[in-house]
Amino acid sequence: MVRRRKTLAYTIGGFLLLFAILYLLPYMWMVGMSLKSDSETYSPTIFPERPTLEQYQRLFFGYQFKGLTLQINFPAYYKNTVIITVISLILILFTDALAAYGFAKFEFRGKNALFWLMIGTMLLPIYATIIPSFWLFSKLKMINTYQALILPGVIDAYGIFLLKQYMETIPSEIIDAARVDGAGAFRRFWQIVLPLSRPAIGTLAVFRFLFVWNDYLWPLVVIRRENMYTLSLGIANMQLRQGMVVWGSQMAASVLATLPVIVLVLVMQREFLRGLTAGAFKA
Amino acid sequence: MAVKESTLEKPLAYSGATPRQRFVRKVTPYLFISPFFVGFAIFSLLPIVFSIFLSLAQWDGMSAIRLVGLNNFRILIQDPKFWNSLRITFIITFVCTILGTAGSTILAVLLEKVNDRLASVLRVIFFLPAVTSIVVITFIWKQLYNADYGYFNILLTKAGLPPQDWLADPKLALPALIVLLIWAGLGWDALIITAGLRSIPEELYDAGKVDGTNEWTEFLHITLPMLRPTLLFVLVTSVIYLWGIFAQPQLLTGGGALRETQTVALYLYDVGFRYNKYGYASAIAVILSLLMFISSYLNFRFVRYETE
Repeated sequence: MVRRRKTLAYTIGGFLLLFAILYLLPYMWMVGMSLKSDSETYSPTIFPERPTLEQYQRLFFGYQFKGLTLQINFPAYYKNTVIITVISLILILFTDALAAYGFAKFEFRGKNALFWLMIGTMLLPIYATIIPSFWLFSKLKMINTYQALILPGVIDAYGIFLLKQYMETIPSEIIDAARVDGAGAFRRFWQIVLPLSRPAIGTLAVFRFLFVWNDYLWPLVVIRRENMYTLSLGIANMQLRQGMVVWGSQMAASVLATLPVIVLVLVMQREFLRGLTAGAFKA
Repeated sequence: MAVKESTLEKPLAYSGATPRQRFVRKVTPYLFISPFFVGFAIFSLLPIVFSIFLSLAQWDGMSAIRLVGLNNFRILIQDPKFWNSLRITFIITFVCTILGTAGSTILAVLLEKVNDRLASVLRVIFFLPAVTSIVVITFIWKQLYNADYGYFNILLTKAGLPPQDWLADPKLALPALIVLLIWAGLGWDALIITAGLRSIPEELYDAGKVDGTNEWTEFLHITLPMLRPTLLFVLVTSVIYLWGIFAQPQLLTGGGALRETQTVALYLYDVGFRYNKYGYASAIAVILSLLMFISSYLNFRFVRYETE
C-alpha cells in the first residue's frame, strides 16, 4: 500500500515536471527571442545558435540603421514605471493603514455605514468610472502626468479590509498604555500600530506592487505622450516602429520588465501564500 | 463583521477633559479615515454619478452635452455589435471558468501528492503568469501564434500538418485567446485551491483509509465536498475577472478576426476612446458594471469570508 503510493507519487512528479516544462514554453520563447540576432529572429528554433545581447543594447542605445539612430525610449519607460510604483505604494499603504486603524480601533458615529460604503467600492469595476475619470483628469489638465497614473489607484478598499482585520488582533492594552503616557492618536498609530502591522503591510505591498507595475488599461487611457509611457504601454507600442516588427527588442524589454517581479515572488514567497490564505472563506 | 468590543479603544473617562479635548477625541477617527473617503468622493463617486448622467446623453468630448434620455440604451439593445460582444464575453467566461477551475483543481491536488521540494519549485513555475504583466504575456503568445514565423506553426509544419492562421481565422481566434487565458490563470487558481486543500482536516483522510478508500474515491468523497467553498470562491472571482476582460483580446487580436474576440470591455473602449462617443460608451459601461456588480454581489452572498 505504502509502496504503491510512493510509486504513484513518482509517476505524478514525473508527469508534472514534463507538464511544467511545456507550461514554461512561452517563457523560453521570450528569453530565446531576446537573445537572437536579427538574422536568427525567424529561425525555427526557440534558442539561437549564436546568442547575443544586441537586442538588449538596442533598448538603451537605439537602432543603428544606415548611419541613422532610432531611439527606443525604454530607459524612460522603466524610470516612469519605477517612479509611479514607488509613489503609489507609499500613498496606498499610508492611506490604507490610516483608514484601517480608524476602523479597527475606534468607535464613532456612522462607522458601520462608512465601512460598508468602503466595502461597496470593491464591487465597482474600473469600467464604471473610466470614461468620466478620463474626462476629470483632462479637465484637471493632468493627462500625461504621474498624478493621473497614481491618484485613482489610491482608493484601495481591499487593502483597508486586509489591514483592518490584522490590526484588530493587536491588543488594545498596548495602545492604551501609550495613551496613558500621553501619546496622541497619530503617534500611537505611527509608533505602535504601524510597526506591529508590518507583516500584513508587507503582504499588501507585494500585491499592490504587482498591480501598479503591470497595470495597462488606465495608463492606456491617460497617457498619450511617448516619453510618459509605462513599461506596459511601451512594450505594447514597441511592436511596430516605422513598419518594422521588432520581436527581439520587444522580448528583451519583456524580460527586463518581468525580472523584478520574478525576483520579488521568489523572495516574498511566504508573504504570497499568507496573503492568499488570509481571506479564508466558508460557503 | 461585528467588531469585538474588547479590542476597541475605550474612551478614557477621566473628568479633566476640556471641551476642546473632547472635540479632538470625537474628530480623530474621522481624520484617520478621511484620506480614503476624500479620494473616494473625487475618483469614484463623482465619476460614477457623471457616468450615469453621461449614459443618458450624447457627447463627443468637445461640443455641449446633449441629453437624450434612454436613447442610448434603446440603440444598445438593437446593436448587433453589442450583442456579439456579450456573446463573445459569455463564451470566454463560461469556457475559461469551467476548464480553468477544473484544470487548476487537478493541478493543485496532484501537487499535494509529490514531495515538497519538487512541489515548491513547480508551484513557482505555475505561478509565474499570475505575476507577469498581461502585456508581456500577450505579446509572447502573439509571437507564438504568428502565422509565418510563430512556434506553433513551426511545430505543425514539422509534424507534416498544414500551418494555421491562428489569429486571423474567425474560427481559431477565440479558441486561441481562450487557451492563453486558461494558461495564464492556472497557477493563481491552483494556489488558492492549495490553500483550501490544506485546510481539510487530516483526520477525514485517516478515517477514509480505515474504510478502505483509494486515491480516486478519496478525491471524490472527501476532497471535493470539503473543497466546495474554495471552488465556489475561485469560480466567482474568475467570472468577475473574465466579464471585464480587455487587455488580452485588445493586444492579441484587437477584437478581430471578424469581431470574434471583441469583448464587451473592448467594445466599450473602442466606442469611447476610439470613436469618442462618450454617451454611448457610458451606456455600455453601465450595463457592463451591472453585470460585474451582480457577479460580485453573488460572491459576497454565497461565499462567507472568515476573518482570521
